[in-house]
Amino acid sequence: MDNLFIAASPSSPEVDFRFDERRLSLKGESYPENAAQFWGDIIAALRRFLSEDTGAEMVTVNVALAYFNSSSTKMLFSLFGALNDKAKAGTEVVLNWYHDEDDDTIFEFGQELMEDFPDLVFNDHAVKSL
Amino acid sequence: MSGMNEIQRQWDDFHSYVERRDVIFYHVGYFSQTIIAAMADAVKLRVEHAGAVAQTRRKLFSSFIEMAQNIVHYSADSYEKEGNSEASMRHGAVFISLTDERYYLHCANPVNADVAEKLREKLEHLRSLTIDEIKLEYKETLRAETPADSKGAGLGFLTMARDASAPLEFELSPASGKDSGTSMFYLRATI
Repeated sequence: MDNLFIAASPSSPEVDFRFDERRLSLKGESYPENAAQFWGDIIAALRRFLSEDTGAEMVTVNVALAYFNSSSTKMLFSLFGALNDKAKAGTEVVLNWYHDEDDDTIFEFGQELMEDFPDLVFNDHAVKSL
Repeated sequence: MSGMNEIQRQWDDFHSYVERRDVIFYHVGYFSQTIIAAMADAVKLRVEHAGAVAQTRRKLFSSFIEMAQNIVHYSADSYEKEGNSEASMRHGAVFISLTDERYYLHCANPVNADVAEKLREKLEHLRSLTIDEIKLEYKETLRAETPADSKGAGLGFLTMARDASAPLEFELSPASGKDSGTSMFYLRATI
């Protein structure tokens, strides 16, 4: 299936899902007007890839979101839920979780993900403040 | 030439009031997603300039976005263009003040009676919780089904309550005259 690329806007992140390389990236800030719709479309594409995918190799997910609003938070939770299901079914899924070293909120959300989605290989990356 | 310094005097009056009230950012008018994104930039710069540490800046920014998006979603006063029923522009006000190294975020907008009742219930409940209980409820809500009447997954006020350093404060005051049936909703978060 086709890769999914959505350029960043002032209130939405860059989405770079290279399904052919098994490498999915999110980068930027997320507070779109309608988070359910913005993330709903992305999650639908991801689910389609995950269900059609027959490859056995690892899937790598790189997330470097500097801010997400409350409604995006909820949608991100479903996105990682879908990835966890894939991992549970036997495909290795690595989640690289990038955050500013002193950003407790995003660090703690990562910890929540690790707790709820134990099948993901979770790597926390604290990045030095600019 | 008596009016020579009149413009400057108006500015001085205005500035001295703003300073006396410790206001560092203020917007009243219509809120849309585009306006919020532009204000978000201005707020980031302003609080950085005010000298807030990174963690405080992030909490201020987060609560600011939640408040501003609440206005777009729930204000009873929407901007209707002729022949366009898309009500994605709604009226409200927000200001940020800085007093004794504490930041206060204030917002105000009119709400319909049914929304007012829900806000009162929700905020009175949040005010009764300790910070640990707020964090627990946040975790539970994150994992629960989204309420049908919510555009923000039900996490918006919980997010503000979690980031604030004191319980959220609010008032609802019933409007009279042509606006009767609506209330003004005032919310203040201490960061």
